[in-house]
Amino acid sequence: MEQNYHTDETFLARWIAGELSDEELAAFKKTDAYKEFKRIDEEAQLLSGPEIDVEKALKNVQEKISTPTTTSKSKTIQLWQKIAVAAILILSLGFYLNSSKTYSNGIGDNQTIVLNDGSEVHLNSNSSISLKRFFWSNDKTVKLTGEAYFTITKGDDFKVETSQGVVRVLGTQFNIRDRITFELKCYEGTVEFSQKNMSASPQTLTKGMQINIENNTVENLTFQEDSPDWRNGLSKFEAQPLHLVLEELKQYFDIDFETENVNTERLFSGSFEHNNLDLALKSTLVPMGITYELKGNTIILTED
Amino acid sequence: MPNKEPSLCDEKVFNDFFRKHYESITRYIYYKCGDLQQAEDIVQNIFVKIWNLCEKIIYSKAKSYIYSACNNLLINQIAHKKVVLKHQKTVTDNSNHESPDFLLEQEEFRIKLKQAINDLNFKEREVFLLSRIEGKTYKEIAEITGLTVKAIERRMSKALKELREKLGNHIKI
Repeated sequence: MEQNYHTDETFLARWIAGELSDEELAAFKKTDAYKEFKRIDEEAQLLSGPEIDVEKALKNVQEKISTPTTTSKSKTIQLWQKIAVAAILILSLGFYLNSSKTYSNGIGDNQTIVLNDGSEVHLNSNSSISLKRFFWSNDKTVKLTGEAYFTITKGDDFKVETSQGVVRVLGTQFNIRDRITFELKCYEGTVEFSQKNMSASPQTLTKGMQINIENNTVENLTFQEDSPDWRNGLSKFEAQPLHLVLEELKQYFDIDFETENVNTERLFSGSFEHNNLDLALKSTLVPMGITYELKGNTIILTED
Repeated sequence: MPNKEPSLCDEKVFNDFFRKHYESITRYIYYKCGDLQQAEDIVQNIFVKIWNLCEKIIYSKAKSYIYSACNNLLINQIAHKKVVLKHQKTVTDNSNHESPDFLLEQEEFRIKLKQAINDLNFKEREVFLLSRIEGKTYKEIAEITGLTVKAIERRMSKALKELREKLGNHIKI
């Protein structure tokens, strides 16, 4: 009997839809509010929405259907996609053509690489060379880290880039060792060495000549042997500090040294073979009066 | 069973379907956005889409698909404008007190009513217009909007209450 539209949140909706009970309706009709609602409803029903031309719209739609939706916007997007794809292809092809090929040896490994021009690179343990994958013959440059023995076929300029400078050759045999110390040995023919960041004119080496660089100090030496010792599976030392010997051992065997208890500046003369760790340790450490103990891959050194 | 349903890929079926639903969908979208051009564009684009997807759309589901697709499209580009409503010329009111005074009052009231409808919260406005102008039942409105009948009734009642609060003073009884 009360004003139900206040308390019942669907009351008015039900009234509009004619769903009120007779009692509810009779009570509602007695209120002043009823007349106001009725007026609003009557007037609202007289309102109309926009006029819509359905046939015209259908024609529109049929036109859109018959001309497939290749709008200019999507065309430009497609064009840009094509350009982008082409650019990526060209770039990646460029990168690929310009890419380098790398040969590397792990510790204890040894391999010989024959280059396109017939030159041979004997790559020592724990070393790598990289060269351009394509068009290498136009600019015969090889980047070296570690140690390698080169037998170069006579012909064009051949260059080896190292951390200490560039070695330039014209058909020869030579060995480069670019580790803690740098060592270049010429075994045959002529090589030319241009030290990095040095304005001095390049040095020429002939058979039996050697260049050593240690802490930026260049030393010119001569030698007798016909091929590098490492090619025979041997490392030889003449009055070399112990730390260099240990460093050399690490190039051929996967080991580490604990040297806190020894003087690594002491000089060593002798050699070790690359094929047996136990023998190598014995032949280097025992003459020095050093005892050693293996713990995993680490070798702890103590001096008597 | 699926073969019994008409296919929207059939042009005649599609055209009939279009004629049957285009106006009411467009009005619905119009009541939401207040821009007839926008509403027509949206709805036409969806019909084009329906044609392109005709093989995948089941005829009996197409209507509700269109409503929700149009709705989604609208949500993306919504910019509410005023809904422009017109009074039908054919005045059904043949009451006997058509004094000049009354006509003036009626004119004024109608302007106020349109204003008040526009001022409604769009949720209530949508329901009110679909019910009063489009003559849809609450069930139909619930289907279109994806709400329950109860929710529609609540919105409808709320719309009426708000209209009365705004217009009550202008009604001479």
